[in-house]
Amino acid sequence: MAFWEVIFYWVTLVIYSLAAGGFIYSFVFKNPRVLPKITALVGAGFVAHTAIILARFYATGHLPWSGHYEYVLMGGWFIIAGTLFVAWQNKSLVGLAVGTVPLVIIMMGYGYMQNPGLTPMAASLKTVWLYIHVYFAWISFSAYALAMAAGVLFLLKSKSDQLPVPNPAYEKYPSLDRLDELIFRYVVFGFITDTIMICAGAIWAKDLWGSYWAWDPVETWSLISWLIYGITIHLRVTFKWREKRLAWLAVAAMSTVIICFFGVNLVVDTSLHIFQVR
Amino acid sequence: MSNKIVKNLSSLRFTIVLISLLGLMFAIGLWVPQIKLVKGLYLVWQKNSPNLVAFLDLFGLTTIYTSPITVTLWAFFFLNLSLVIWQRIPLVRHRISLSEKLITAPERGAGYPFNRTFLLPKGMGGEQVIQQLRKRRFTVLGDGTSFYAVKNRLSPVAFLIFHLSFFLILLGGLISVYTEFIGYLDLAQGETFNGEPGRYNAVPIPKIPPIGSLPTASFTVKSIVPRVVHNTPTGISVMLLDAAGQSHEVDINVPYKTDHASFVFKHLGVAPLFELKDASGSTLAESYLKLDVLKGRPDRFSLGGFNFTATFYPDYVLDNGKRATRSMEFNNPIFFISVERDGKKLGEGLVPKNGSLLFAGYRLEMRDMPFWVRFYVVKQRGLSILYLGFALATVGVIWRLLFYKREILGAVRETDGAPSLLIAGRSEYYKKLAEDEFLELFEKITGKPVER
Repeated sequence: MAFWEVIFYWVTLVIYSLAAGGFIYSFVFKNPRVLPKITALVGAGFVAHTAIILARFYATGHLPWSGHYEYVLMGGWFIIAGTLFVAWQNKSLVGLAVGTVPLVIIMMGYGYMQNPGLTPMAASLKTVWLYIHVYFAWISFSAYALAMAAGVLFLLKSKSDQLPVPNPAYEKYPSLDRLDELIFRYVVFGFITDTIMICAGAIWAKDLWGSYWAWDPVETWSLISWLIYGITIHLRVTFKWREKRLAWLAVAAMSTVIICFFGVNLVVDTSLHIFQVR
Repeated sequence: MSNKIVKNLSSLRFTIVLISLLGLMFAIGLWVPQIKLVKGLYLVWQKNSPNLVAFLDLFGLTTIYTSPITVTLWAFFFLNLSLVIWQRIPLVRHRISLSEKLITAPERGAGYPFNRTFLLPKGMGGEQVIQQLRKRRFTVLGDGTSFYAVKNRLSPVAFLIFHLSFFLILLGGLISVYTEFIGYLDLAQGETFNGEPGRYNAVPIPKIPPIGSLPTASFTVKSIVPRVVHNTPTGISVMLLDAAGQSHEVDINVPYKTDHASFVFKHLGVAPLFELKDASGSTLAESYLKLDVLKGRPDRFSLGGFNFTATFYPDYVLDNGKRATRSMEFNNPIFFISVERDGKKLGEGLVPKNGSLLFAGYRLEMRDMPFWVRFYVVKQRGLSILYLGFALATVGVIWRLLFYKREILGAVRETDGAPSLLIAGRSEYYKKLAEDEFLELFEKITGKPVER
């Protein structure tokens, strides 16, 4: 890791951790007034997060696209960018960070334990398809993470609403009806970008490996994940799955994405999706 | 009875069951070692648990992606998809049709959950509202007093496009499988290939297509230059000169394409030119040898009746008295060679380029050290159909899920002497979020803020 990269890495982790703590405080002590401050804190963390990427870019000459450490660095950046973007568009959605910020902290902690060494861009990654494939992969990951976060918020809020005195911390968040539709909207957005990601990956694979589909473990998991979100959309549109069932589905389906990005290569070493060629 | 079967086969419930089962099969394929993907692991597993593997073999679970169970599921999936599409066609036609019948009074618009009245500013009537809606890409029927407006009317067509794309992907996939030739081709710098079938490696056995032909290609490998920076392979430049005298550069991610075939760079090796001389200096044998030594493994070769074992160090260094390589960069390429005949070791030593090894009165010289490459040669037809399927799937999913249909019923009424606009609206997929969207839309059109 580059010198400034290490510094900003820890700064980012500390800020995100403080923000996550702030969200917990807001819910436990029923204090929604601190939410704008915590969101500003997440924004500051995002600036530091961007600085990590820039420092690494400066040191390696390329954007961080390869290896688990770089996956989490970029993936986390996209998730926080998505969280801040929706919060900026709609103030009542600042609470989505309650799901996404802890997820990014865990991801970054995991990434730090992996392979943060500085490496030049591997030959296999030098193609325009990388940008299309990986960019859409991260957007879909971010959208699915937001769907998961909206699901978490829905479940927390619906539980609070059943209490004799609902927790006022949830008042600032969208109504349950809107949260329910937001889950679906993020799933839909993730599904679209996921589709583009898989198609772009297949075209890239033809030139890189000679086969557009090789049943590689990561490929297969991405297909499984895509199918699960496809089922989610069908269940919602055709079978009218809503509210708690949809929220739980969004939370559970996220596990397939996490397995696809990080889990498969932990279990098997036969995947072609290990790009740090040595 | 047959109606019931067709009804079940065409149900969406069945679609979901099939997708779930296919997902399950794919997941099992990740846990059960697959013969074609991880043969080594499969063989070890078979040795350790022969009964279990025999049982899984029986059900095709060790070749799961082409097993009879998976193929049956796919067959049912496409049957189900065909029936669903067939049943949906009239529905789609109905949903995209436009007729005057759609113009209903907003108060009586059943199925329109959004209902609101907006006061119209002075000088604004129904015609101006319609104009504004048309500006925002709404198709409007009716006139200023009563109208029906629809945005993204054709969106349901995208449902058909998305699902039909699956058939194109299937068709492209099937054509590519049945016309597929796969072979490996090892070529060293300076070698010429003229499409001879015998030049493809015997192991793994080339896959000859059931339909179609072998690739016709003719070229000479002019140069091979690997690039390694900070111990990471950053590229390889393989220059080919075809029969027409045209140059082609092959790199990782950039295969040589000709006659529906791709020559994909797969592997790099060293092809040193060794010359064996006797004590008088006469040449006994000389040859370029394709050695597979770049991953630190030794390789063997025979020359002039001697057996040699060669280990390659791209960046040779003596580390605590042991031979090692500092990196994968070709900074100090050296072979360590040991020689034997009839099981008796005759000598060993380091041989750099233009260096030599002396043993038992003989001399092994390395006069040149170019590289060789292994091409993964694959010829397939049907890729254009497959890619068209990908493109249509992408277009279909974006169109259907982002550009979904919104419908508005509108009428201008006099309320307390002032004109007001009655609106009933509905949207596909969303209710509350569509309400927000409609409020924002009519706030902009009427220029008056609305209480939320």
